[in-house]
Amino acid sequence: MHLSISAGMKAVLEGLPYIMGGVWVTLVVVAGALAMGLLLGTFLAIAHVYGNRALRTLTGIYVWFFRGVPLLVLLFLFYFGLLGALHLDLSPFFVSIVVLGLISSAYQSEIFRGAILSIPEGQLKAARAIGMSDFQAVVYIILPQAFRLSIPAWTNEYTIIMKNSAVTYALGVAEIMARANHVAARTYQHFWLYLLAGFIFLGLTSAGTRCLGLLQKKVAIKGYAR
Amino acid sequence: MEQTPVLKVEDIRKRFGEKEILKGVSLEINRGDIKAIIGPSGGGKSTLLHCINFLTLFDAGRVFLNGEEIDHTDRRRLYAYRQKVGMIFQDFNLFDHLSALQNVQIGLVRVKKIPKARARERAVAELERVGLKEHMDKYPAELSGGQKQRVSIARALAMDPEVMLLDEPTSALDPELVGEVHAVIKRLAAGGMTMVLVTHEIAFAGSLAREILFMDEGVILEKGPPQEILYGAKRERTREFCDKIIHFHHKDNG
Repeated sequence: MHLSISAGMKAVLEGLPYIMGGVWVTLVVVAGALAMGLLLGTFLAIAHVYGNRALRTLTGIYVWFFRGVPLLVLLFLFYFGLLGALHLDLSPFFVSIVVLGLISSAYQSEIFRGAILSIPEGQLKAARAIGMSDFQAVVYIILPQAFRLSIPAWTNEYTIIMKNSAVTYALGVAEIMARANHVAARTYQHFWLYLLAGFIFLGLTSAGTRCLGLLQKKVAIKGYAR
Repeated sequence: MEQTPVLKVEDIRKRFGEKEILKGVSLEINRGDIKAIIGPSGGGKSTLLHCINFLTLFDAGRVFLNGEEIDHTDRRRLYAYRQKVGMIFQDFNLFDHLSALQNVQIGLVRVKKIPKARARERAVAELERVGLKEHMDKYPAELSGGQKQRVSIARALAMDPEVMLLDEPTSALDPELVGEVHAVIKRLAAGGMTMVLVTHEIAFAGSLAREILFMDEGVILEKGPPQEILYGAKRERTREFCDKIIHFHHKDNG
């Protein structure tokens, strides 16, 4: 096997605008999935920590399922299985966001659950003692602290979802990987195009990690170290 | 005519699993009165205060504020009641993500629904009352234990409580910080605040309270004026406890 740099560069340069167009698709899929995961994950975590036994069991089963089944299986199950059975016509793009969002919500709920449990219980008592409802105490006292504590683990979740979003190419979502694949098949420069895709993802994970690191610094509580 | 007590608790019972922590405790306190509860650890003092505020739900018993029984299943009434009964915790329980000012302000804004600017004014005034105005922008992690406890007192005062429950307010403090918190509590007393104080600081309890209650093994074993309980208790158990703790304090003070 030989790798021709000039032929490779030519294919990369020609394919670049098309592949870069996939960055937006990837970003929307990832942002959508993470946002959905954040919202659902927060409710799941609250239900698990403060809910009764039935709620705890239900959220436990949910987390167990979505953490244990592979992404590709879930994508196919939802897109080819569920949509057909329900006679629904949804785009692969939309289904990908939902499936990644469901999986991420399971992981995020575990992140938030741990963070909520690490807030000293006395603060909940103090909030109740000044007349707050449990809902207010969670929203104004517990969650703001839990979210801060979650940022490092959440950064990890961001990189995982970013990388896993490449799998949605299997449904035909025109994201980075699908487009690199397309150009590679046409030019036979697989090495260079997958390398390009790899570096684009590396850039996205690095930039996101850096942004979240800055956010963590920005919202850090003064004098507080744990 | 007999005065209606501000706070009255009747025959409170609480068990945790096998162990009965409160075996029927009753207590009433009139406006402006101060009662101190002393007794060995594990005797139920702290649990009693938590039950009074429904932070711990009890198995049997009743709680009255100004003669009106509190039904804790009526959430709205419960939240209103808790505002009227200020609680001071052993380990302060400040909200770590909020500055001293915000700690005092948040109840005013979120619970009392007072506009932010006015809530801020009130919070600043309460912090001034406990001598912390110049530290109001500091976060709990930047404050000493004594300062934290004073912020927590300001936080409770901002809700306009009719009675304050203090659960060993100085027992988590370094000895040199106890004085500043005692000074704030004394000022509250001088201002006529009704208080139930759980403490191990016998001398402080004696100087502040009109009545001392000795609690052990889930019951109030004996109660009376400080001199009588501290130096002339009728019950052997009370005498033993007071002797020990008074002796310890004398040794401690040189």
